[in-house]
Amino acid sequence: MKTYLGEFEELVLLTVASLGDDAYGVSIQLEIEKRCNRSISIGALHSTITRLEEKGFLKSWLGGATQQRGGRSKRYYEITQAGKKAVSEIKSMRDELWSLSKVKLSVK
Amino acid sequence: MKTPQPPKLARKLFEWYCGQANVNDLLGDMDELFYLNLTGKSVFRSKLIYWRQIFSLLFSYAVRRRKTQSQSSGFASSTLSLSMLNSYFKIAARNLYKHKYFTIVNVLGLAIGMSVSLLLIVFYLHVCTYDNFHVNKSEIYRVVTSHYNTERDWELAGAPFSIADDLDHGFTGVKKIVRISAGFSADAVADNLDLPIRGFYTDPSFFDVFTFPLVRGNASTALSNPNSVIISESTAQKIFKTTDVLGKALELKNVRRAKDSIAVYEITGVIADPPENSHMAFEVLISLSTLPAEYQSYTGDFRNVSSYGFQYVYLLLNDNAVIPKLQTRLNKLSTEASKRADAKINFHLQALTAIVPGPDLSTLGGSLGPTWENEGFIIFGVICLLILLPACFNYTNISIARALKRAKEIGLRKTMGGLKNQIFFQFITETVLITSVSLLGGLVMFYFIRREFQTMLVSGSSLNLSLTWTIGIALAAFALFTGFVAGFFPALHFAGLNPIQALRNQSHKQSSQGRIRKGLTIFQFALSFCFIIGLIVFTRQYHYNLSYDFGFERENIVDVQLQGVKPEQFRNQFSQLAAVQNISMSSHIMGVGTGTQMTASVDSRDSFEVYQIFADHNYVNVLKLELIAGKNFSNEIWQREKHILVNEEFLKQFKLGTPFEALGKLILIENKEVEIIGVLKNFNYTSLLRPIEAFMIRTDPSQFQLSNLSVRFTDAYSSLSEMESAWKAIEPEKKFEARFFDDELRESYDFYKMFLKLVGFLGILAISISLLGLLGMVVYTSETKTKEVGIRKVMGATTASITLLLSKDYLKLMMWAALFAIPLTIWMADFILPKLQEYHVTLNFWDVLLSLAILLTMGLATIASQTFKTASTNPAETLRTE
Repeated sequence: MKTYLGEFEELVLLTVASLGDDAYGVSIQLEIEKRCNRSISIGALHSTITRLEEKGFLKSWLGGATQQRGGRSKRYYEITQAGKKAVSEIKSMRDELWSLSKVKLSVK
Repeated sequence: MKTPQPPKLARKLFEWYCGQANVNDLLGDMDELFYLNLTGKSVFRSKLIYWRQIFSLLFSYAVRRRKTQSQSSGFASSTLSLSMLNSYFKIAARNLYKHKYFTIVNVLGLAIGMSVSLLLIVFYLHVCTYDNFHVNKSEIYRVVTSHYNTERDWELAGAPFSIADDLDHGFTGVKKIVRISAGFSADAVADNLDLPIRGFYTDPSFFDVFTFPLVRGNASTALSNPNSVIISESTAQKIFKTTDVLGKALELKNVRRAKDSIAVYEITGVIADPPENSHMAFEVLISLSTLPAEYQSYTGDFRNVSSYGFQYVYLLLNDNAVIPKLQTRLNKLSTEASKRADAKINFHLQALTAIVPGPDLSTLGGSLGPTWENEGFIIFGVICLLILLPACFNYTNISIARALKRAKEIGLRKTMGGLKNQIFFQFITETVLITSVSLLGGLVMFYFIRREFQTMLVSGSSLNLSLTWTIGIALAAFALFTGFVAGFFPALHFAGLNPIQALRNQSHKQSSQGRIRKGLTIFQFALSFCFIIGLIVFTRQYHYNLSYDFGFERENIVDVQLQGVKPEQFRNQFSQLAAVQNISMSSHIMGVGTGTQMTASVDSRDSFEVYQIFADHNYVNVLKLELIAGKNFSNEIWQREKHILVNEEFLKQFKLGTPFEALGKLILIENKEVEIIGVLKNFNYTSLLRPIEAFMIRTDPSQFQLSNLSVRFTDAYSSLSEMESAWKAIEPEKKFEARFFDDELRESYDFYKMFLKLVGFLGILAISISLLGLLGMVVYTSETKTKEVGIRKVMGATTASITLLLSKDYLKLMMWAALFAIPLTIWMADFILPKLQEYHVTLNFWDVLLSLAILLTMGLATIASQTFKTASTNPAETLRTE
């Protein structure tokens, strides 16, 4: 495996992907909180996003100011090719491990 | 209801922390979350969450990363690049060139203000080089003494030799000990002239501790034997016309503190002249073993400070780690000495490098050389600041006043993205440019005042005030510092301008900056006022001293130095002269502050230090002293001191009752009993600086140094030449030295002339700086009001009414300044004058009025010169150009 991707990093990457065109700070945070049913701090979230940008898995651009934001623009995020590759590598590795499992993993 | 806002403070904190980094999106996110939270939660809770988010971001990697990114980005503007500085310089130079008038006023004012400070810097740096030439300078210490008894406190530079003896026996850690007995003075004969020579007695270890190279002779043995002397090159040159004097005999006369007053020493070494920046100055070094045995050690009981004050102990330590142990030892010795002396005596160490500049220590019975006290530098520094600050204020004032002219430029800079600190630095650069130019002007002035300053100081001749590289760097730093002080307020003001208002030509914060300006002007004029009043009061004090009634006759008395001539021989010769009415002999000149003190006691009761003078029976008549009880000395030749005359204060001090009761009482002086035969009315036997205390006239003829002749001159010139020929008849070898008594009295206050010169000079500087500042302000206001004046004139205003209108504000400022300064000067006069002199003048109404008149006249002349010009211009000319 070439790149290490933490659990939370993977979560953020996938959430950004799932949000599509509407992935920015607040929406990402709310989506994760809703889906995982846990509260995350804005500092931790943005630190992770920054790290992902550094690794080249995310790219961002500014746009879309609204009244609720005090006229401040949003920073939108999008998953890059490298990001897609990283999540799919992880997924395929997991799938492989699932298929090799000697015990029945899925519980209903 | 107003919708709640996210907490402002939290946002500000965050923005401040992030600085240049772009965090707009994060703030936007937080605002969005805040409003989202408001729908479900209370306002308070939402705000709390906002705060929590801010803190979680403050410590997050995301913000840290953005901050570092912003610093390295190409658009970062917090760094000052060289090209930007270059551009600031260019703009500054152009601006200064464009407004020549203000530039000249500013540069002139700052140059004046800086010149005195330059003197201080150069002076101080020179003094800091003192004793740096000693190789062992960091390991050399001297023992100094604090001596507190009931009468007064002493801080002595010396310490008794007993300490050296104690440390010599059984104390490790001290490599070498040098004992120095200061105050050697004698006359050497060269070219039939007496050449006064000064130096010390010291140990052979002197050369192990200090770095004074010997040109000839062997350093380790030169001072081993008694009657050996090491002579400095220049002194050898003066006496023998050569420096090859090893083994020759040095004949000396009038040797103090030796076995005989005439001595012959063998020259065992020639030493290079001690450098000027040494705290020890000497022409000869004499072996300590030459001294009588009682002076080679200290066996006294420490009671009398002057019994050991001339002894110095220097130590060369192995390393400085031994100091605590050494101090413990010294403390033990201090306790012993305190017990014996019944006083609080404390011996402690002073590093060689802390001697000059250093604390003010008494050097009884002989100082080692020039010293410069810290206190003096502090006072000098305050004076420098008092001159420099007003000059800086001028700049501040004029710059802020002219802010309107620069407002457009700043507005534009800000609109184009100029940041606060960039504009701040731009103006600081401009100020530093001005102060650098002023520095050059100040240097020119420095060269003019340097010589005057050197002559003003007692030991100024040993000052080398030339410029070196270190000084150059210090001066550059000083220009930078002055630039900061002067430019800080204007730069802050410009940096804070609101670009919209600036571009619309609306000035802002008019009232607050006006207040600063007024405050600064008031300060300047108050200072000028203090200088003027000081000058007036001190001049009055000087004249007061000259015309003071001392209580004795001062007219028509000629003092002749006896110079070793026998008093009787002198009396016989001079009594034949027609002009001489009466002849008396005495040891000191009365009323100039010279004189000696002696311990006297009644029975074995308390003893006191008493001022004394030795005189004969005619002295009371010549000086017309008033006897209130008893009689004068009788005309007999005294083989033994039997009688004394005392003053009223003496009776009070010794509790001897009324003058008549005191007659016949016996006083113990130097183990001799003498009888009070007369009581004199109090008179100022010493200088007016000191109060009248216990005083006595004694009768030891061997102490007579001068003769006081009561004269009646018809023709002063011929009478004096008669006297001179009479002198030649007795002592053809020596020059006749006679002075009028009142001249001598007057000269003893010559230091006031020096002082007045200094105050006057500083006053002129301070006043000219404030007038320059005033001129700058008036020119500026007049310039900006030309149109207004034109319209007023068209409407029928007279020149006089307009002059008044333009001058009114400044007049008010000067009155305010006087209002602040008058109570201050009254307080200072009450505080300083009594400290300066026991008998002093007091500040009176006329002093204040006169100072006020001088200040107002000068101020008005400055204001009127400009306002009148503006007021009398033809309105047609000012209004035509649009």
